[in-house]
Amino acid sequence: MKHAVSAAGIAIALLLAACGGTGSTSPGPASGGATVPTPPAAALTGAGSTFDYPFFSAAFYAYNQKFSQVTVNYQSIGSGGGIQQFAKKTVDFGATDVPAKDSELQPIGAAGTVQMPVTLGTVSLAFNLQGVNDGQLKLTPKTISGIFLGTIKKWNDAALAADNSGVSLPDQPVTVVHRSDGSGTTYIFSDYLSGVNSDWKSKVGTGKSISWPTGQGAKGNEAVATTIKQTPGAIGYVELAYVLQTNMTQAKLQNKDGDFVLPSPEGATAAAGQYLVTSPAQFSIVNAPGKDSAPISGYSWVMVSKDQTDKTKGTALVDMLDWLVNDGQQYAANVHYARLPSSVVQNDVAALKTITSAGSTLLTVGAS
Amino acid sequence: MSQGTAETVVPVPPVMLRHRRHRVDGDRIFQCLAISAGILVLAIAAIFLLALFVPALPAIREFGLGFLASRDWNPVSLRFGALPFLYGTVITSLVAMVIAFPIGIGAALFLADDARLPFIRVPLSFAIELLAGIPSVVVGLWGLFILVPLMRTSVEPFLSHTFGFLPFFQGPYSGSSYLTAGVVLAIMVLPILVALSRDVIRAVPRSLREASLALGATKAELTWSVILPYARIGVTGAVLLALGRALGETIAVTMVIGNRPGISGSLFAQGYTLPSVLANEFTEATGKIYQGALFELGLVLVSITIAVNVLARLLVWRFKGASEASVV
Repeated sequence: MKHAVSAAGIAIALLLAACGGTGSTSPGPASGGATVPTPPAAALTGAGSTFDYPFFSAAFYAYNQKFSQVTVNYQSIGSGGGIQQFAKKTVDFGATDVPAKDSELQPIGAAGTVQMPVTLGTVSLAFNLQGVNDGQLKLTPKTISGIFLGTIKKWNDAALAADNSGVSLPDQPVTVVHRSDGSGTTYIFSDYLSGVNSDWKSKVGTGKSISWPTGQGAKGNEAVATTIKQTPGAIGYVELAYVLQTNMTQAKLQNKDGDFVLPSPEGATAAAGQYLVTSPAQFSIVNAPGKDSAPISGYSWVMVSKDQTDKTKGTALVDMLDWLVNDGQQYAANVHYARLPSSVVQNDVAALKTITSAGSTLLTVGAS
Repeated sequence: MSQGTAETVVPVPPVMLRHRRHRVDGDRIFQCLAISAGILVLAIAAIFLLALFVPALPAIREFGLGFLASRDWNPVSLRFGALPFLYGTVITSLVAMVIAFPIGIGAALFLADDARLPFIRVPLSFAIELLAGIPSVVVGLWGLFILVPLMRTSVEPFLSHTFGFLPFFQGPYSGSSYLTAGVVLAIMVLPILVALSRDVIRAVPRSLREASLALGATKAELTWSVILPYARIGVTGAVLLALGRALGETIAVTMVIGNRPGISGSLFAQGYTLPSVLANEFTEATGKIYQGALFELGLVLVSITIAVNVLARLLVWRFKGASEASVV
């Protein structure tokens, strides 16, 4: 039924396009200044990262309101599954928190894939300490690695007290709470710790699942948040969007320039803006310089095949992604995700222009 | 067709023959269908095991038998071992059985005795069926939001204070522990244990009960000397089936066990189970060795549960007779 409707829709759209008409949907007025092309009718499917899901569901809903002939169905099954389904071509695009490697992308391969950042997230450290309020606790790279390596065991540790004069830290054991499920948030956090602490780098390393030196694991942001809220003396890393939505108490983090910042979407954008080059090979933006930079930030990525066999669908796909990285960014802010810096948006659009079908470029009205 | 000649037997051999041949064909078709359905079930089981075994091969080749003995679980350096998960699975299931067994058998004895307190027995039967119907994720949420804080603030401090001389009630406690997971599992296996044990106890011949009562045995003597010895094998089967359920339980355990791949003698420590690590790490696992190690854990889990289930079914069948084996 749905297929029949979309097939009919495609046929009508093609006919109208041949006549030079714009179809039943008038082109939506672009709010961000960029010209948004009218896409052909298509039902697009994507799968992958759970981190992207709140942003994607808001953005794809808005896109469908704007262009009712395009529907996007996104399944948040996890980055690993997203990469696999994309490589097997069962979905039109995949989403992953860490760019996929060539070996993971077989048979399409890295050479046949465009990987582009679509949104930015930042990680916050939430804690539960009686009498210490939101933003009062200050943490440095040194104390953060101490806590998560298990060398700082009590809240009144001398290293913590030195950075927090004026705050009364209790004589209470530190309970570390971390994600037990494989997650992009864990990747960004362990990437940060590997960057600021050589012990962490050699003993633990960076990954979506790691071998934790201390603490207890909880499945998903939800369970991590619940465990922190119930356990006096607990601290854990949580996706900022989740912290803001559930009003958790978070710490100020010292960035590379030495400033203490409360993690924020703007801080993530500022951190990302510090890097001129962002590519699947060079994507880490943790511990970024700049006085406003939120230190534990990272991108989330979309994977698209460079060679689209179905021209109509391919056109709808690149048009949608072009919108997602331009106008669509406003929906990221609504759910407390960070906007992409303009340099990254330009790179994304340039990458979209390399996507072809039967040799011809699909993205015609490039917004740049 | 021919009205009024109902009494008349009309011999029409060709029709009979055709009819008979039809019936033979129908039987054959049915037999073929039944056999292929049977083979299909076997094939599905075989394909299922193969589908676990083939992706597990890279890890089996890499780690060999050492996989079962290694304590390492490090997705970054790709060193994998199953021991902490095996240990956690076994310990939590044992704790569950230790808690559930006395309660379950007690309730089963009570329920099997039709004469006593029908106004409690009926709601109890209903409550047990209700308990069996609660989805495990709901039990898990209850565990996370209610049981974990309760364990941390009341139960574990009490055990630590009162029984702290025992090695398994020592060390720091945080609510998430082997013990909490065991309690959650005990609640989840209780309905199976009660329902099966009740049936087994009811199957104790009436003549035996009445004979022992006639000889002057008290209710307690009847239970201890006649009913329980007679029902022993069946109850063991029920326990093993409940154990099979406990071994495979995933989400409820994941929420309360602390997900820490360690091995500790204290029940207050955080641990990890085979199903939990699969649920936690599968979605984001990439690379042949890492995924292979997870598949191998799946294979280990399936082997354990199949072994326990086969043993349980054999025992229950032996007791009740194959015709009566109504196994959950």
